[in-house]
Amino acid sequence: MADDLPEQFDLIVIGTGFTESCIAAAASRVGKTVLHLDSNDYYGNVWGSVGVEDLVRLLSSDAAPHSTLRNGSYTWHDESGDTSTSEGDEMKEETGQQWTRETVLAMSRRFCIDLCPRILYSAGELVQLLIQSNICRYTEFRAVDNVCMQQNGNIVSIPCSRSDIFNTKSLTIVEKRLLMKFMNACNDYGEDKCNEDTLAFRGRTFSEYLQEQRVTEKIASCVMQAIAMCGPNTSFEEGMLRTQRFLRSLGRYGNTPFLYPMYGCGEFPQSFCRQCAVYGGIYCLQRSVDDCAVDANSNEVLISSAVTTFRAKHVVSAPRYLPASRDCVMRPHLSRGLFLSSTPLGNEVLNKGGGGVNILRLMEGVREAIFIQLSHFSGACPKGLYLFHVTTPAVSDDPAEDLRPFAMQLFQNSAPEFVFSSFFTLTTQSQPNKGGADDAIFYTDAPSFEMDFYDAIANARDIFGKLYTDVEFLPRAPDVEEIVVDGEDPSALNEHSLPEDLRAQLQDMQQATEQMDIQD
Amino acid sequence: MHGRVKVRTTEEERERKKKEHALKVRAYRAAMGRILKKRDAGELDDEMLGLTVQILHRNPDVSTLWNIRRECVLEKINQLAAAATESSKSDEGQAEAEAESAAKPVEQEDKLQSVYGQELTLTEQCLMVNPKSYNAWHHRCWTLEHNPQADWEREVQLCNKYLKYDERNFHTWDYRRYVTAKAAVPAEQELDFCTEKIKVNFSNYSSWHHRSLLLPKLYPNEQRDRPMSEEKLQEELEMVLTAAFTDPNDSSAWFYQRWLLGGGAQADQPPKVVAFRMGATGAVVAFNKPCPDFEQFRVELASNEHMWKLESWQPADSRRTTWRTQTSIDYQKDESYCLKLAEQEIKLLPLPTGDGAFYFVPPHAASSCSKELFEELQTQLQSCYDLLEYEPDSKWTLLTSALLMRAIDVTANHERSLDHLVQLQKVDALREGYYKDLAASWTLELELAKWVTSTEFPKRFELSAESALTSLPYGQYLAIADELELPAKLKEELGDRLPLTFAELKL
Repeated sequence: MADDLPEQFDLIVIGTGFTESCIAAAASRVGKTVLHLDSNDYYGNVWGSVGVEDLVRLLSSDAAPHSTLRNGSYTWHDESGDTSTSEGDEMKEETGQQWTRETVLAMSRRFCIDLCPRILYSAGELVQLLIQSNICRYTEFRAVDNVCMQQNGNIVSIPCSRSDIFNTKSLTIVEKRLLMKFMNACNDYGEDKCNEDTLAFRGRTFSEYLQEQRVTEKIASCVMQAIAMCGPNTSFEEGMLRTQRFLRSLGRYGNTPFLYPMYGCGEFPQSFCRQCAVYGGIYCLQRSVDDCAVDANSNEVLISSAVTTFRAKHVVSAPRYLPASRDCVMRPHLSRGLFLSSTPLGNEVLNKGGGGVNILRLMEGVREAIFIQLSHFSGACPKGLYLFHVTTPAVSDDPAEDLRPFAMQLFQNSAPEFVFSSFFTLTTQSQPNKGGADDAIFYTDAPSFEMDFYDAIANARDIFGKLYTDVEFLPRAPDVEEIVVDGEDPSALNEHSLPEDLRAQLQDMQQATEQMDIQD
Repeated sequence: MHGRVKVRTTEEERERKKKEHALKVRAYRAAMGRILKKRDAGELDDEMLGLTVQILHRNPDVSTLWNIRRECVLEKINQLAAAATESSKSDEGQAEAEAESAAKPVEQEDKLQSVYGQELTLTEQCLMVNPKSYNAWHHRCWTLEHNPQADWEREVQLCNKYLKYDERNFHTWDYRRYVTAKAAVPAEQELDFCTEKIKVNFSNYSSWHHRSLLLPKLYPNEQRDRPMSEEKLQEELEMVLTAAFTDPNDSSAWFYQRWLLGGGAQADQPPKVVAFRMGATGAVVAFNKPCPDFEQFRVELASNEHMWKLESWQPADSRRTTWRTQTSIDYQKDESYCLKLAEQEIKLLPLPTGDGAFYFVPPHAASSCSKELFEELQTQLQSCYDLLEYEPDSKWTLLTSALLMRAIDVTANHERSLDHLVQLQKVDALREGYYKDLAASWTLELELAKWVTSTEFPKRFELSAESALTSLPYGQYLAIADELELPAKLKEELGDRLPLTFAELKL
């Protein structure tokens, strides 16, 4: 296959996952020539969002050689036989839509199902990066409606903001004061390094700190479960850091400190790729890499794909995309559960106006999981259906088994009407990736277990820093109005650059002034 | 390379801004010059309206231009009115034109409404530029006042919209009170609106204030010793304490709470006589607050048989809360006397020494309290105590608990409430003087109430040295005493501000 692509690049990026796309955009932005390849026909790899058909294909087929997705299984719940009970008919009339395998598949492309779902802190790393780099112009968000916790087997929304705390009936006024005071103390933590109140807790757990704050049981569990998102062994410092992250993201957009990207997290890799392309990056999907070698003379990396051999000073690749990395043993890393339901989880309060975008962190001993409910307001599924994502660090090769205790917690009290359910494992290399022989090839990390993209961004920054020292990572891209075409004299501003009505007025007035005695 | 894109440097950007600015200044000056010239020539026409719009859109705070617009509007209205009488005159003679003339008033009215409509649209556009433009808000009121067919309901909706953008804009709240009165919006509905806004963000002085105006109307208090009915007061106290505990650093809730716990006294009430004493050679009268124009009052003293006009009043203190007059009065021991001034008629009591008559009412007589309200106050006080265990130095909690104690029982809780003020002087040292003054007021209120029952009343007033006061509020109440026994330190502190006794007034 002959294609008219250039053959020489500063950087070749392989795989369009979040971290790779981020590095591609950063390199392109500072003037490097970039070629970006992916074997898939969609952007994002395991960081992407797919329709139902694509998901089913991913879950059933044998994994492509570069894939890190394993142990896929799925079930359609309408195939149990007795599909047309009288109860079902009533439901149909009420909701106007009965969801079956056929109706869901017919709307396959209306779904944006994240393989690796994330929720962003409103003032977190990614939001800051998007704003700083001006890539935010390619993104849209839905403010998360509720941050939930479990209380006596029920799912309840936790009061996040000052007005939430003021309005909630679930806390006494003294509890309200204590919660607000605790939040303020966490907010101020770190500003005064020698604060004796906190000095004593260095090296202890956050849970111990909470107990000594004399906050009530209710507040303690609210903080542990939903605000600091801690486990019993989380250190004091880490707990404070997480609480601060939560608090500092409050009051920015919406009532909770979290954002979800409209149309799924797969939008992020695409936004970075777009930025890369704007600065001249070249994109080729459905291009796998056949061979990779290092030219001993020039120290360049040679990448063979189809009939072309590309040369680059550096290569950044997602794990398993390069043939050399395929021998590496993969181990289960994240166990994922993914459910489609025709009813939302939780009561009416949590699902005002047709279903909320809600998050809930689950605990089971020292294990934890993150549950995300997406309604059609997120743009990730059609109206009337709800997408449930559950993610936990893998402990076995059986994702359904890993998630069983969390599914029990979630669904035992309020069983949703499932339409589809599936499980899969995301894997990572058993041994951390080492760069290529000559520090010319770098491997990005597989998605870690986290809410936001903190680890992924740190990984991208780290690799970028090794590639190009002392170069700014994703500086702000100018807006159209800030750009002038070279050759124009920027100081030659004339009346045409004034607003139209002012210009007309000025012309009018100018004749008048000539006759009048007006001092300039 | 030609045609390559590059980003403007800050230097270039600054240069561009400067040029743009200079052009704007030129345009502004030219337009202003033209407007003033036209005005001198009396040309209040459509062109004038068009010219002012262009400047006001950019800067809605040029009062002169709004004034000129008002002249233009009045001119237009006059022209329309003149045209109307003209056409009706010519119609009178012509019966056949009757059908036509019926249509004319409608057309006239439409024209008139479009004149007003234009002004309303302009103010709306200007408020988008500056939502706190006094001029724009004022012009809107003026326009609506002049239009007999103003749509007040629409204005209420506009306020709803603006308060959604900024729930704390006091201009909008002020305007809202004006239009809701005009549109006769029920007070219940307004109260619900306030509650909604408080729920969104309770840090909102305007909304609390609006509440404080609505509640006494909706839930009046029969005895007038509390701002509203006790049941409602109970609810309000609960709500405001929740706000105050949620964020004690936000002062709006605490201010509202102090109003709730207050006696419901209206600031605009006229001064009231609190003390009066007369002897054979003259009289002294003291008010609860300054009464600067007392010499203009008509004051009469009446016994069963006689009537004296008390005139030539002289102020006896610099604040003009105390006044004296030298008039000889033939005092008869067994007569009953009565003082009449303005609308008040005050019955006097004979002095125990038999050489005159007097009147005295101590400040803030303790309010009664229903069982339910009493319980609510107790619960709130308990919450404050609970909190003080966690935060012993919490300023607002200390102050609030002191106020609550006093609302429950002034006399029994006097010492404890003063303890809180002493602690407040330490934890909130910036306002030390304020707490000292507050302590002095509370002490005097109690001492004056006790004085009434003492055997030496009203001849001798004594303040123990323990009270360690540095100021003497309610000093005017002591004008009827002959003898003041005050701590030496306080006397020293007061110097020539020491209130004069009846004896010292030398009547």
